Amino acid sequence: MKGNIIKYAQDNIDTDVIIPGQYLKVHDYAELATHAMEGLDPDFHSKVKEGDFILSGRNFGCGSSREHAPIALSYSGIKAVLALSFARIFYRNAVDGAFLLPIEIDQDAYDGIAEGDEIEINVSVNEVKNITKNQAYKMKPFSEIIGKIITAGGLFKYKPDQD
Amino acid sequence: MGTTLFEKIWKSHVVVEKQNGPSLIYVDRHLVHEVTSPQAFDGLRMNKRKVRRPDLTIATMDHNVPTNARSLPILDQTSAVQIQTLEKNCKDFGIKLFDINSPNQGIVHVIGPQLGITLPGSTIVCGDSHTSTHGAFGTLALGIGTSEVEHVLTSQTLWSEKPKPFEIRVEGKRKNPHAVTAKDIVLSIIKNIGTGGGTGTVIEYRGEGITDLSMEQRMTICNMSIEAGARAGLIAPDENAFDYLRGRQYTPKNYESLVDCWKEHLKTDSDAKFDKQFTLNINDIAPQVSWGTNPGMTCDVTESIPSPDDFSKGDPNQKKGAEKALDYMDLEPGIPIINIKIDRVFIGSCTNARLEDLIEASKVVKGQKISTNVRAMVVPGSQMVKKQAEEMGLDKIFINANFEWREAGCSMCLGMNPDILSPGERCASTSNRNFEGRQGTGGRTHLVSPVMAAAAAIKGHFVDVREMDLS
Repeated sequence: MKGNIIKYAQDNIDTDVIIPGQYLKVHDYAELATHAMEGLDPDFHSKVKEGDFILSGRNFGCGSSREHAPIALSYSGIKAVLALSFARIFYRNAVDGAFLLPIEIDQDAYDGIAEGDEIEINVSVNEVKNITKNQAYKMKPFSEIIGKIITAGGLFKYKPDQD
Repeated sequence: MGTTLFEKIWKSHVVVEKQNGPSLIYVDRHLVHEVTSPQAFDGLRMNKRKVRRPDLTIATMDHNVPTNARSLPILDQTSAVQIQTLEKNCKDFGIKLFDINSPNQGIVHVIGPQLGITLPGSTIVCGDSHTSTHGAFGTLALGIGTSEVEHVLTSQTLWSEKPKPFEIRVEGKRKNPHAVTAKDIVLSIIKNIGTGGGTGTVIEYRGEGITDLSMEQRMTICNMSIEAGARAGLIAPDENAFDYLRGRQYTPKNYESLVDCWKEHLKTDSDAKFDKQFTLNINDIAPQVSWGTNPGMTCDVTESIPSPDDFSKGDPNQKKGAEKALDYMDLEPGIPIINIKIDRVFIGSCTNARLEDLIEASKVVKGQKISTNVRAMVVPGSQMVKKQAEEMGLDKIFINANFEWREAGCSMCLGMNPDILSPGERCASTSNRNFEGRQGTGGRTHLVSPVMAAAAAIKGHFVDVREMDLS
């Protein structure tokens, strides 16, 4: 999976800036996407391209349980968020609905990857490759359950009895 | 080796356990509201599934409901549709609903304990991050997203990795418990451990500083566990908890035998081990005021706005976060907190809108008028809280001081209904999140306790409530 980076070099990007509360009444996902990141970066909608990745710091997605947050990012075209750490509910929401991949990276990857860099994510070998800079980093492997839900394509496609 | 309270509740709810993997956890109560449930019900319909245990599922409407008179129509069409959708979903799937006209309507985390739906030793889930509130009763209460809401509706279970137990000890005694409140304790904890300090854990709050608290104060503490990143917060139930739930509308008929069982089992063994530990001494803590854009950016009311260098202690991301926060909040380092003037006051939310919160705030307000530059509102946490407060005459105290006295709902905590800040407005708020735009685009939120918010309304700026007579 390849994409270009939109970098927010800060910690604690919360669900209220990812999708402000006033839009939680919007049920049309395409319309929801037009308001993604509106609380932090009003230009996001005009600059995001299909297949882009977001890169950010610690505790990404902290705050509310709104699944609208990964939905808004996903329907904007974001296929993965690379972050130093994630808030738990955002992380599960991203995976449960198969909206995007939450990729935990280390400080070296965070420092070494810049806005606009082309990145290849290869989850089968837990690697994040910076094609632009020809550097490779390890990502934190998914836990067993998360890996299975991702592979199945979401929580409702996961069949535990076939394990 | 002994086990913790969390591990005991967890173990008693495991349906399936995978080797080194996740567990399928049984859910005793599922609370539903209008915002995070519509897609879940759509999913059930699409797959021709039923709600497995409608009898264990309870719904109300709180997030987007207007807080003006209930007799008025809902002008916001999208909110009206969301409310009608919940009504239809509850009717179609046989779920008990406390609708907008019900005397039991209110913020889902306020009505659960009030109705005796929240029970010690049980599991509760809700599509809302502040579900952790119910942990005050020794309930394992988890906030979940909409996909998980659908999973619980259809199976009454949840796949979850086991969080790690985290002990937070609160030691000592507050010198003035009316001025230094549970809100100040929990803000102090988050200030110390950070907004990610509890990630992957269930916090058990212990110690004299916790057992001294009333049940409503304990709910304030557990409510904000999520602001430290924790999956849940717990307090071992004691006589206070058992008394609180006794005789409520939905308290089980065999309650006394349950209490006997809870007394025996619902405690952490003396030799149990926690994965993480933090201790806060509250002998000398001051009322807290948040100055930034997350709940960890908080200081004593007697302090001044810190510089980003002092706040970040060398962490570049923290420094950048503080700079950005000060810019958003339009504040400069070195400004004393008590010099910050405010435009709005919000007393409400699942953190601080229970009866005791309103009683304490009313002591500050009684016989006073709010500052002419301030618009202030009280939004009771539930219609039952509102009724009880009115029976005590609290509504008159607030109205006479020029506060607005509203109907129950989440209101200005999250800016989904018409109660929002205008861009640039500064608010002293008893809610739980000071994120950018949380209370309205461009709005600036300072998190405080109910007494601190009430005092700020009267004076027009923050004051140290320890200087007031609140007894």
